[in-house]
Amino acid sequence: MNKYLILVVEDDVPIRNLITTTLKTHDYRYLIAPNGESAILEASSHNPDIILLDLGLPDVDGVEVIKKIRTWSNVPIIVISARSEDTDKIEALDAGADDYLTKPFSVEELLARLRVTQRRLSMMMPEMQNESVFQNGQLKVDYAAGCAYMNGEELHLTPIEYKLLCLLCQNAGKVLTHTFITQKIWGSSWENEIASLRVFMATLRKKLEKGGGVQYIQTHIGVGYRMMKIEE
Amino acid sequence: MEKQVLDRNKSKNILKGQLKIFFGYTSGVGKTYAMLKAAHKAKDRGIDVVVGVVNTHEDPLLLSLLEGLECLSCNDQKNSHEFDLDQAIKRKPKLLLIDDLAHINAKGCRHNKRYQDVKELLNTGIDVYTTVDVSNIESLNDMVFTITHQKMEERIPDSVFDNAQQVELVDIDPQELIERFSNTSIASMEVFTLEKLTALRELALRRCADRMTLLSENVRMNYKLGYYTDEHILVCLSSAPSNAKIIRTAARMAYAFKGAFSALYVETPEYAQMSEEDKDRLRSNIHLAQQLGAEIEWVYGEDVSYQIAEFARLFRVTTLVIGRSQAANKKMFSKSSLTEKLLIYAPNLDTHIIPDNVQPAFHPRLKKTAFELSLRDLLICAIILLLATLLSVIFSRLGFTETNIFTVYILAVLIISLITVHLSYALMASIVSVLIFNYFFAVPTFSFAAYNQGYPISFIAMFIFALITGSSSRRLKDRTKYAIESAYRTKALFDTSQLLQHAKNSDEILQATASQLIKLLDRDVFIYLNNNDELSEPHIYKKNEESPNFEELCTSEKNIAEWVLKNNKLAGAATETFSEAKCLYLAIRTINHVYGVIGIVIQNEPLEALENSILLSILTECALTLENQKNAREKEEAAILAKNEQLRANLLRAISHDLRTPLTSISGNASNLLSNGEEFDEDMKHHIYTDIYEDAMWLINLVENLLSVSRIEEGHMNLHMQAELMEEVVGEALRHVSKSNHPITTSFSDEFILAKIDAKLIVQVIINIVDNAIKYTPEGTSIEIKCEKAGKKVLVSIADTGQGIPDEIKPRIFDMFYSGANKVADSRRSMGLGLSLCKLIINLHGEEIQVTDNQPHGSIFSFTLPAEEVVLYE
Repeated sequence: MNKYLILVVEDDVPIRNLITTTLKTHDYRYLIAPNGESAILEASSHNPDIILLDLGLPDVDGVEVIKKIRTWSNVPIIVISARSEDTDKIEALDAGADDYLTKPFSVEELLARLRVTQRRLSMMMPEMQNESVFQNGQLKVDYAAGCAYMNGEELHLTPIEYKLLCLLCQNAGKVLTHTFITQKIWGSSWENEIASLRVFMATLRKKLEKGGGVQYIQTHIGVGYRMMKIEE
Repeated sequence: MEKQVLDRNKSKNILKGQLKIFFGYTSGVGKTYAMLKAAHKAKDRGIDVVVGVVNTHEDPLLLSLLEGLECLSCNDQKNSHEFDLDQAIKRKPKLLLIDDLAHINAKGCRHNKRYQDVKELLNTGIDVYTTVDVSNIESLNDMVFTITHQKMEERIPDSVFDNAQQVELVDIDPQELIERFSNTSIASMEVFTLEKLTALRELALRRCADRMTLLSENVRMNYKLGYYTDEHILVCLSSAPSNAKIIRTAARMAYAFKGAFSALYVETPEYAQMSEEDKDRLRSNIHLAQQLGAEIEWVYGEDVSYQIAEFARLFRVTTLVIGRSQAANKKMFSKSSLTEKLLIYAPNLDTHIIPDNVQPAFHPRLKKTAFELSLRDLLICAIILLLATLLSVIFSRLGFTETNIFTVYILAVLIISLITVHLSYALMASIVSVLIFNYFFAVPTFSFAAYNQGYPISFIAMFIFALITGSSSRRLKDRTKYAIESAYRTKALFDTSQLLQHAKNSDEILQATASQLIKLLDRDVFIYLNNNDELSEPHIYKKNEESPNFEELCTSEKNIAEWVLKNNKLAGAATETFSEAKCLYLAIRTINHVYGVIGIVIQNEPLEALENSILLSILTECALTLENQKNAREKEEAAILAKNEQLRANLLRAISHDLRTPLTSISGNASNLLSNGEEFDEDMKHHIYTDIYEDAMWLINLVENLLSVSRIEEGHMNLHMQAELMEEVVGEALRHVSKSNHPITTSFSDEFILAKIDAKLIVQVIINIVDNAIKYTPEGTSIEIKCEKAGKKVLVSIADTGQGIPDEIKPRIFDMFYSGANKVADSRRSMGLGLSLCKLIINLHGEEIQVTDNQPHGSIFSFTLPAEEVVLYE
């Protein structure tokens, strides 16, 4: 039996069946909540490890559910959205969601997202917290020394690139929106900075992925970026 | 110009409030009493009644009636005859009582006349009860004068009276009235005898009856469109004080005949020399004519009668109204009077000559400068005569005959008359020449005596010759001057319309209008635009660099501009509203809409009547251009809307077809599995599963495209244009293309190619093109995606090495629902949506997409995107 307990918040029965069937066949434990109210109730009473949350709920807006849960819990939330508008996802991510899935999604995609979140969970274990060194695959960031290493070699990063890298590492596994990043790095968010962000992100990624073909930074077009957790 | 005046008349607002007039033939008949009674009745019906101003004359009866009614600022009610307009608007009662509509406001009020206040009140939706005397009616002013011999300054335009929703005649028998007066012993009333009162009463009753006739005519006209008599009354304007009476008479005639009414002013060369006082009077006469509903026309010419006749002929005038002094105005050298000439030029015209007993007969005073001796001109005369004399001396030494010398002097006089300003110089010169000739050259020389019998004749001939040539050359000069002036004006108007036609946006339209006005009026102007009934920041146009800054002036008088916008009337300097302002404010408007307000710096020099009319035509032109522009914009929007509608219709048709096929396959296969699933072997089942999966994927793809289309349909505003790295965009697209055995390579000319695009949509474009390439080329065919930066564009090309696209299909490949080789309409799947969507998206970015042949075979889809330069913020 898989040790992870997953709360599925979805009002549409066939989709819920699809998700639960998938979870069952991959040995996850799961809970079901058909609306926002019961979702908050289940989340508070059973303390799940991961929440799969549909944004279009019959009673309340999914974003409100995220905000409620975030008042007491840091449980990873993966948002499922039928709306293809990026603004919904960005709103949910800014409200505290960790990742998103857009309907229609494939079963493989759902499982991949769950794995990513699991890795993130393992990183959030107490002994990993407050460490001055971040290790992810071949990437090592020494916060105390202000240095980053790839394959043991020091990376030559500009101040902005280093700041970006730190921000991504501290939120590894989580999708960070453009607004969030520009707010953190420049203190504001306007168009020219988004253009700047793209260039810095591209150069940073080039430096990180120069050696092997391992992808560290994932681009989510129209949404933001994410530091992938590399499996050992 | 005439059309424009007509527009202005038509655009007279339909007032929102109701006006009720209590109308009587003289003061004391009980108008105020009737008004207050009616007010009490209204109050009893639960209507919110407020007394604005009532002249009680301390009459106890009226004072007792005032009790129980709310008064506007009652404290100073008794000593002041004014009321606070703004306070009234703020209080906004349903019904306001305002006595004496014709009252002239004290200085410093917003409007000069009370009826203008009332108009504004009505505009804000307040009903008004008011009182009017028969002597207050503009067109009856002269008739009342003949009865009472008292001049009434307080007058209201007839239109106010006629357009009132209700007129209640307050009537009392004159005998009874006189008795009432004797009781109350109001001193001023004693001048009215029974006879006079009866005459006034008749006038009032008849005026009411006329109003009724007009009302019934209007009702009839509503049923029978175009009902209008062929009568066209023309009145001639002049600067004479008696002209006002003639205008009023003509207006009454036009009213009685229900005919068209025009007022004509013929500008003669004397106009320039007219004194300011006369010009002022002319302006007020023009204003009066306008108020009485005349269309003002302004023509140039020396021969007044000819101009009138021409105008009458062109505009089919049936009746001409002129004053007696005008008619008798005989010029010194003209053979016949105006009327006589009119009879010759326009024998078919009815001419009414109105006696004007203003004594003494009026002669326009010309400016004195005309007769002032100018030293310069005198000097010119002396020099020219001296030269002529010198030349003559030489001629006489050479032995030429006297005739030649004579010609020299004639030439001299001719030259003088051309150069100098006034005819008197030429006259003087001719006399002097005759004298000089007589003294120096006629035998006996050096004496004024003449031996030759023919000399006196020669002298007279020379004198007359000089006079004729002089005056004719002068006339020529004048004519040229006026021709030039009028040509200048025509050209200015023509230029304006030319400029306005070329103006592309409202800023350019305003710029063109302002520059033309500056050219014509030589004044600073500023324009406010109407932004949803709010004034924009003023656009300021100075006549030249040196002119002083008047931003402050703008801000200090902005309230006037706002008033103009709200009330759609002109105001400011030289008008009757806010007359103390430094600038004149006019609305730039068409019949339906006020587009802005223009301010013209007047300081203390009012515009000339002609300037005014040109100004109005330019403003109308400006407003029309603004309206055209607005209409064009709306039309464009409507066209886009229609196109979107078309798109939607096409889409729905295609979708319902495209959805049906895969849905049939999915539901059919699933029901097969449900009912006889056990009978299928594993291979069979796997085959069915694959079919279901593929059809579902196909549907998903379709839905993605549809979402893009729906976003496009919502319009431009919905595009999220952002700087995107092309590498990321292409990478994202490749993650979504169908899985296949087609090797895909990418190349980028630059390390970071940024484009300002809606990433979602461009990803969709790349997916669609690559998917197409995969679908229509055999497995193993390579696909190459290239991005390069070319100036301000990013060029993206997607090339395959398949069999290529036949030339005859290329032009239609981006058409909606054109599905290439699949020509059967009901064939399984159309790919039409994909490529047409690509074209839509690219066009929405303001760019182009095209398809060309690859070498040696295959095809290249290439499109451009706007590049984005980035400034890095470290």
